[in-house]
Amino acid sequence: MSALVWALWTATVLLDTGGQLAFKAAAGDPDAGDGLARWKHMLSRPWLWIGGACYVLEFLAWIAFLSLVPLGRGVLLGSINIVAIMLAGRWLFGEKLTPWRLAGMGLIGLGVAMVGAGA
Amino acid sequence: MKRFYLIGFALLMGFDTLAQLSFKHAGSGAFPPEASLDWLLRLLAQPWLYGALLGYIGAFFTWMSLLKHAPIGPAFAASHLEVVSVLALSAWLFGERFSSLQVAGAVAIVAGIVCLAMGEPDDAESGSEQAAQLAAGREPRDAGEADGGAAH
Repeated sequence: MSALVWALWTATVLLDTGGQLAFKAAAGDPDAGDGLARWKHMLSRPWLWIGGACYVLEFLAWIAFLSLVPLGRGVLLGSINIVAIMLAGRWLFGEKLTPWRLAGMGLIGLGVAMVGAGA
Repeated sequence: MKRFYLIGFALLMGFDTLAQLSFKHAGSGAFPPEASLDWLLRLLAQPWLYGALLGYIGAFFTWMSLLKHAPIGPAFAASHLEVVSVLALSAWLFGERFSSLQVAGAVAIVAGIVCLAMGEPDDAESGSEQAAQLAAGREPRDAGEADGGAAH
């Protein structure tokens, strides 16, 4: 894979993880209240906007990435997002890594490395 | 109820697959990618881009309806198993070929997704809980169950 492909792939992983975490932070805010007030609260804080911006940028980075690699390989390489988001969830929100989750993350990581190595 | 799941999961996979195929077509149509307004305008002129958006919106609403009843484990797996359909269609539509190492990697990824699905609570109650969170406007999945986000 060329440097540009690597850079775009890294960007999609970082933007996707950043976007998910920002949405989680926006949605998990305990001060947010309910109903319309909750949406107003979220809109007045940066997290929702940061999440949205990450997604728009990721959308573009993903299209650019896919236009440079075969689709099947691209989608397989994109699976690493699942692992990145789980690790980030563990790190920032203390979410549990159960044995099933660890096994799943290990297999996905291994699979992505194999697909990448064969590219 | 069984039919509801089958149709729901098939629809979800269909929308996700449509989105990925459309992304590929849109990207190829706007080739080469560059950090410029020109590229963005070329991209916006691609009809496939709107196919991708349709796939997203469809997948979102299907996911929401499924979560009302489906256990989160199978739903999680189904929301990521579009890699299988996308691989098959890439080979068929775009003539993509895979080395044996890559096929083994694909099998490992699918096995990993199945493991993650097995690790999620399997009772319908947790599905309803998720749906209740959705109804309350909360982010539907915790980070561990995230749907891979915008591009996936």
